[in-house]
Amino acid sequence: MKTLLNLKRTAVLASAVLVITGLVSIPTASAAPLCDGKFPVQSCIGATSDGAPYVMQVPANFNGTVYLWSHGYRYNVDLPAALPGIGGYKITNTPEPGPVPGGDTSVIKYLLGKGFAVMGSGFARQGWNADSGVATDEELITTFESKFTNTTHVIAWGASLGGFITQTLAEKDAAALSAAGPLCVASPSVEAELQMAGDFLWGLKTFFDPSIKAGNYSAGAAGYAEAMGDLGKVFTVLGKLQANIASGAWPDTTPAAVHAVGLDQVPSRSALLLLGLMAGIPTQSAHFDSTTGPGSVNSSAYTSFAAAASPALAILENGATAAALAVLVTYDVEQQSGGAIFDNTKTDYATRVASEATVFNAALSGGTATAGLLGYLAQAPRAAANPTAVAKMRSLAQWTGKISVPTVAMTGVADPVTPAGDLTYMAQQYAKQWQAQHLATLGKGRPAYDLIALFGTTPAHYTTFDAKGAPITKTPAANGTNHCNFNVKQYIAVADLLAYASSTGHDMAGGKLYTTVRKMGGTTRDLQFAPALPKFYAAD
Amino acid sequence: MLVHRRTKRGKLAITFVATAALAISALPAHAVNAYKVDGVSATTITLGITSPLTGAAAPGYNKVPYAMQAYFNYVNDNGGVNGRKIKLIIKDDAYNPVLAKSVTNDLVLQSKVFALVGSLGTAENEATTRFINDHNVPRLFINTGYSGFADATKYPTTYTVLPSYVMEAKIMGQYIKDNFAGKSVAIIYQDDDFGADALKGFAVAGTKFIAKIPYASGSQADPTVVGKWISGLAQAKPDVTIMFGVSSATAAALGGAYKAGFKTQWILGSVGGDGTTIATVAGPTAVGLLYGAIGASFLPAPTDTSDPYIAQFQAINTKYNAGASFDNNVLQGMNTAMLTVEALRAAGTNLTRASLLKAIAKSGSTFASAGFAPLGYSASSHVGYNGYWFGSYGPTGAIKPIGGTYTLYTTDSGSGAVTQTVSKRPAMPAKGLPNN
Repeated sequence: MKTLLNLKRTAVLASAVLVITGLVSIPTASAAPLCDGKFPVQSCIGATSDGAPYVMQVPANFNGTVYLWSHGYRYNVDLPAALPGIGGYKITNTPEPGPVPGGDTSVIKYLLGKGFAVMGSGFARQGWNADSGVATDEELITTFESKFTNTTHVIAWGASLGGFITQTLAEKDAAALSAAGPLCVASPSVEAELQMAGDFLWGLKTFFDPSIKAGNYSAGAAGYAEAMGDLGKVFTVLGKLQANIASGAWPDTTPAAVHAVGLDQVPSRSALLLLGLMAGIPTQSAHFDSTTGPGSVNSSAYTSFAAAASPALAILENGATAAALAVLVTYDVEQQSGGAIFDNTKTDYATRVASEATVFNAALSGGTATAGLLGYLAQAPRAAANPTAVAKMRSLAQWTGKISVPTVAMTGVADPVTPAGDLTYMAQQYAKQWQAQHLATLGKGRPAYDLIALFGTTPAHYTTFDAKGAPITKTPAANGTNHCNFNVKQYIAVADLLAYASSTGHDMAGGKLYTTVRKMGGTTRDLQFAPALPKFYAAD
Repeated sequence: MLVHRRTKRGKLAITFVATAALAISALPAHAVNAYKVDGVSATTITLGITSPLTGAAAPGYNKVPYAMQAYFNYVNDNGGVNGRKIKLIIKDDAYNPVLAKSVTNDLVLQSKVFALVGSLGTAENEATTRFINDHNVPRLFINTGYSGFADATKYPTTYTVLPSYVMEAKIMGQYIKDNFAGKSVAIIYQDDDFGADALKGFAVAGTKFIAKIPYASGSQADPTVVGKWISGLAQAKPDVTIMFGVSSATAAALGGAYKAGFKTQWILGSVGGDGTTIATVAGPTAVGLLYGAIGASFLPAPTDTSDPYIAQFQAINTKYNAGASFDNNVLQGMNTAMLTVEALRAAGTNLTRASLLKAIAKSGSTFASAGFAPLGYSASSHVGYNGYWFGSYGPTGAIKPIGGTYTLYTTDSGSGAVTQTVSKRPAMPAKGLPNN
């Protein structure tokens, strides 16, 4: 399982780089786009007034509709190469005109082949940039329309934070868009987005390594050093937990208080699982399904691995992503807000996991062990936020779930960064909006339903094992797991649904929609399918 | 300033083929169900069950759904329910809550079952609760005695059938008080809601333990864990030891004690005392270890062919269940199926999920069934049976009532008294076919 904690392999915060050839230099900010005039697709580059570099690709047979892509979260700091698990990273603002799953440009080529134009920027700043991202997108639309005056429709889409920006843009400037596609959309606010990561990080600190600072980072260079230090510590402790999965031993950085109260008699994997459940991290991950074990299906080894070990391993695999997010986004938003933003002084973790404690009793090593772990956490020092910083954080852009343009949203049921429940939240908000609209127009026919919520689902079984019974973690992530883990077929299906919505004014429905979704594979659009809300919103 | 580009919106008069269906499905789930009835056609009622068909918990429990199916087929061959045949879709959850959630989703969203019946396991049922509640799916006669499921506010569509583990422990505590006064008592229990219920019940009964040995569910497969149980018991030297776990844990405990030469008066919880399951788990000779143990049940002994329910169910089992050995699991399955048929009949021809739930609340307490204890269903109670009788195991693993007659004890899950009662169960309907 050497690759379990290798964040480089995930799509978490990384963005694919689309190489645009034939253009040598980006024009100055807000100047007209510089186009290469090539046939059959010309590429244009430029920069918006805030300095965000962008790229436009326009086919010769441009049909008047352009897809505006917003990329996901990128680190806003360089990461030292020596950091365990996460490796080195250099800040980049390379523009992205569309999704490039696994480096595959097929989606963009598909759209261009259909006569659609594509465009996207690299945004002016990285990190949590929803406010500036929306402004950049607004300007980009205007710039494109000025350059290509035969533009009739603009479809906005984006993934992760880009999904957040897309939804926020659609709520703010609905009239500018003909359809919107927020994919693996980040939580409605950065506060909600950070709740899961913050809870998990605080738990890691409390159970396994009290030297992790877990937020409240200093300003300037000192804060950067603290955050990088945390990243290293987090991945180191996760590595130790991984190494001790079978033995259940606790890392050597475990606080003395844990040993003093005998909590170390509980397997560390159970403590790790509890943290994941508290935070709302999915118990299915790229390679661990929590349903499959090695050997014969009727063997006790199969049953015990599936029920006891696999959920913890899933939390480990997902938690690496969550913890990295916690450190880097917390650091980023704290720098923007001016102080500590995570607060769990009033969080009742025992209540929060009451149901999960029953469901995962075996993996948690029983009720007595669970009560002991929760009791320890209840007594542990909590993280207090700076009210001024929180107020400033809350002033950052948020989306509400209001749907004013036909929307096609998609997420994975076991996404460890942007929980599937975020889309549930959006669907719930829209259901209320639709009902109110329906009541207001009684007797005039039912209003169209303009949100298609697609969920990538996990197979019932997907964990595989080698001949020795060890789980295999080098296979591609299972459908429905990992962050924004969509394949080309799924992206294209969403693009087609958006094109339909854009051209007709409403989302596709009925049998045609059913067939489209069925052909996507591994996806459900059943309106009755609703993953649990993130812990920020719900106790379940 | 951004340009308004949605020029076609509002101008297009688009006719959607399935406008009505779309509008309905756009409503929240609880509203959806008022408009359509999944799983019911003019000729069929489709039901679903999740249960361990594979995995360590499968032996024994895997017989329950097929016994239910056998009974439904028998009813179908005799006209069905209000003219409809019952189709039971059986899904394997391997006693794994994550898988239970997945297959329950499939049953409801893909197979469009009308209701779930007899789904097994506390964790497995808890894992699907939010989904079941969101979709207003009746979840009837679940195979778990966790008292929490009786909370009709938290589990509005769930009906229990087994007496709760709290009731069982209270009754067992009373039995010990009456029959083993002054004797020292120890307990091995599953360290989850199952065991927590038991401890709650014994506390109400005033039972004092000289040793309490918890174990995490599933850990009974580890010989080291079992070794610790037995060494703990050997150290405490209890006169009476209660085994409050599943049958595989009972087999492990009895086997471990036998090997260690440790002797005690075993009292087995109802969940963990099925002889055929123990034989499957630990081998045919293991049933001999049950000899002399005391057990509890709310149904007649499966071997008691003088009981009209047993005789009828055995006949159905022979013809419709491929000759499966008739034991507590088969009995429980058929009894659950009979209750289901009665509930469906009571709901009437215009069957809806709401009418089904209402029918059980209204008349469920009068349903005929093999259980000796009364059914507690009412507008305010989703609780099934509330009592047990005690028996002793013979050398073949068969349980027979102590003293030769079924002496029933009833109670509640609270602080109510334990009462010795004469059973007044409804007579079995002719040929085992409900006529309510």
